[in-house]
Amino acid sequence: MTATLLPQAPAAERTGPARTFSAVLALALLEGRRLLLSPPVLAALAAFTAWTVWRTPGVEDGHPALQDVDRATQGGPLLVALAVMLSVNHAVLRSKYRDTERHFSVLALGPGARTAAHALSLLPVALVTAVGVLAHFGYAALLPDAVGHGSPAELAVGPLTVLLFGAFGVLLARVVRSVAAAPIALVLLFLLFVAGALPVGDDERGTRWLLPIVSEPGPVIFPSDLLGRPAAWHALYLAGLTLVLGTLAVVRAGARGPLALGGLAVAVALAVTGGVLQTGTLPADVRAARERATLTPEKVQSCVRHTGTTYCAYPEWIPRTDRWAQVVDRIREASGVTASDPALVVRQRIDARFGPAADTDPEATGTPHQVTVGTSWGGNRVPEFAADVAGVLVAGDETKAGRICDGRAVTVMWLALSALPDPVGSLRDVRLDDSDTGSALVLSQTAPHSMTEAQTEVVRDLLDRPRAQVATRVKAHWTELTAPGITAAEAAGLLGAPKPQGDDKCED
Amino acid sequence: MTHETTHENDIPDQECRMTTPTVSATGLSLSYGGTRALDDVALRLSAGVTGLLGPNGAGKTTLLRVLATAVPADRGAFTVLGHDPADAAGRQSVRRALGYLPQTPGFHPDFTAFEFVDYVAILKERTDRGARHREVRRVLDQVGLADARGKRIKKLSGGMRQRVALAAALVGDPGFVVLDEPTVGLDPEQRMRFRELIAQAGEGRTVLLSTHQTEDVAMLCHRVLVMAGGRVRFDGTPADLTDRAAGRVWSSAERDPGARAGWRTGTGTFRNLGDPPPGADLLPPTLEDGYLLTLDEADTAVTA
Repeated sequence: MTATLLPQAPAAERTGPARTFSAVLALALLEGRRLLLSPPVLAALAAFTAWTVWRTPGVEDGHPALQDVDRATQGGPLLVALAVMLSVNHAVLRSKYRDTERHFSVLALGPGARTAAHALSLLPVALVTAVGVLAHFGYAALLPDAVGHGSPAELAVGPLTVLLFGAFGVLLARVVRSVAAAPIALVLLFLLFVAGALPVGDDERGTRWLLPIVSEPGPVIFPSDLLGRPAAWHALYLAGLTLVLGTLAVVRAGARGPLALGGLAVAVALAVTGGVLQTGTLPADVRAARERATLTPEKVQSCVRHTGTTYCAYPEWIPRTDRWAQVVDRIREASGVTASDPALVVRQRIDARFGPAADTDPEATGTPHQVTVGTSWGGNRVPEFAADVAGVLVAGDETKAGRICDGRAVTVMWLALSALPDPVGSLRDVRLDDSDTGSALVLSQTAPHSMTEAQTEVVRDLLDRPRAQVATRVKAHWTELTAPGITAAEAAGLLGAPKPQGDDKCED
Repeated sequence: MTHETTHENDIPDQECRMTTPTVSATGLSLSYGGTRALDDVALRLSAGVTGLLGPNGAGKTTLLRVLATAVPADRGAFTVLGHDPADAAGRQSVRRALGYLPQTPGFHPDFTAFEFVDYVAILKERTDRGARHREVRRVLDQVGLADARGKRIKKLSGGMRQRVALAAALVGDPGFVVLDEPTVGLDPEQRMRFRELIAQAGEGRTVLLSTHQTEDVAMLCHRVLVMAGGRVRFDGTPADLTDRAAGRVWSSAERDPGARAGWRTGTGTFRNLGDPPPGADLLPPTLEDGYLLTLDEADTAVTA
């Protein structure tokens, strides 16, 4: 306590508004660091990271379509957004609860500027969230079987949601000077959601776009150009709404200068523009493109030829034709047909007319030697596709393959399953009841058919035998094995398997 | 009695604020409901520590809050370092030049001492991070908290917290420092240390120190204002205030019924204030005697 307290000339500082602006940024940096390190936000970021790590490795069975992955990044940040809302609300109210307002109220940086700093302090957390989102998406994009395109606007939704909820927390603190307000607001939002007062994601009304996240999860992956999501307008709406809440908080705190009021006007214009343009009906060109892609896919698809088979896909899926060809080639080499006879066509088909949320499969086609493949791959889709390919090779087309109700099913299923790395596991995957004994329905993109108990016995037996040995018999007896009316016992006899004991009557 | 005298240091050509009044106020009045908290207050302050004495409700804190731009006066005007807070730009300039230690200051208990003072420095628009951090370290060193700057405020003692508050008031080298009863609640040793800090703070800048402690004023201030009933009742040096009791303090074996105030001292005799009887055993006056007599006269004036 012996030092002499001599005034020192302060370092050269900016003057006027520039100085205030610099101070706002400095305070935002400090508050941003505190917000990032606040226990609720840290916990939420840890949960978000765990969620991302848990979901990412198995993203779409390792065969992601990036136009779906971008939307899949939107849910996780919601937890961070809620934590940010609570924490920043608490931070804005800190000076009230800690009785520092009497002191701070006479300092140069006024309540408006401090509120602006709190709003800006949301950026670091949003940035960290964006890193998580990009890591999730980037991992999927780097997978060798990734197809499609992500949308920057869809990827922006997660971080924008964090900013939106944070800005709401800042505004709430300026309107209701109580830390109880933010948790109560959360509960009210939850109750509104539960009560159905908020528009939900599968609501066909345009009002669903007023919610921050409209992920529209559906069973069918759409080509990017058929999605018809107003992603860019929605991102503009979220950004505008965030700015509206942030600038409203600043104005409410007492800053009513031209910058604040002008910013508010611009923010309202952005929010209204995005909000209105996002809620329109599906554009006619997208509707027409969906019709075209569904009814005349050949007009929009590209085709490649590989060892006698033609693969036609929506342009984004062309890289995946190699995967299809691996399955087709394995089946053909074990069958009684040559590499080019019949001239098989594998065509990608979806029913896009009713939107991505509709669970609508395309109908089986009667076109000879044409096999339908969907837009998903991996998991059950692979044995389903293999069964469809084998069915068309045996029966001639998908319609006939779907009606197989005799011993040909033995050949179809052995060809399909023996071409895959885990034949018995695939047998379970492709059957509706996940069984490998008894009768069951076999799943398919277009032509589900049944397996009798006897057929299942024979197929199980054949799968335990060397593939080359069975393949030799298949080739040798191809005509008999593919003749309508053959029984499971006859097929077993031709293929060197014991006569089955089970029932051989197929299900209706 | 209001003296509008100016007490300027005789230190020529150093800094402008040392040779011209830092704070100049005229006709400051402020009412809360029907209560007149400030009544036509005029003052001029220059470099050094000025004490502000007065009983509870005298208007001391109100005057400090007006000068600190926390509340506007109903009437009157004032300038700080030449800046008029009547408009927003002037108010901003005053705030940039101000150090303020409120009565019972609040803290953010989860902040460290360094973080809290740094936070205040940012609110004072110190934006150069490196320079700001050096300044924060400097003021914390000077209030004796060099070893505690990394400690959270909730872990600090009351005296250490008060020093954090003083560091927050002094950070950024303000030209005008307002201290509202900074030694309340401190033990004698802490108060002695605080006096030293306040004395140092008054070197080269203007410090207005509100206090109930006449010893603080006697030891620290080159000038003292006494307020009562919202008015400045005395404005002069501590010696002048003490002199007001010259010849008006006497000793007696019993309490003198004619005295305005009197109390038994440790020696068993009575110390009386007022108009002594002839032949009274006069005692040398203290600052407190002058202060009490000034308040007594103020009461008489109000009653009359």
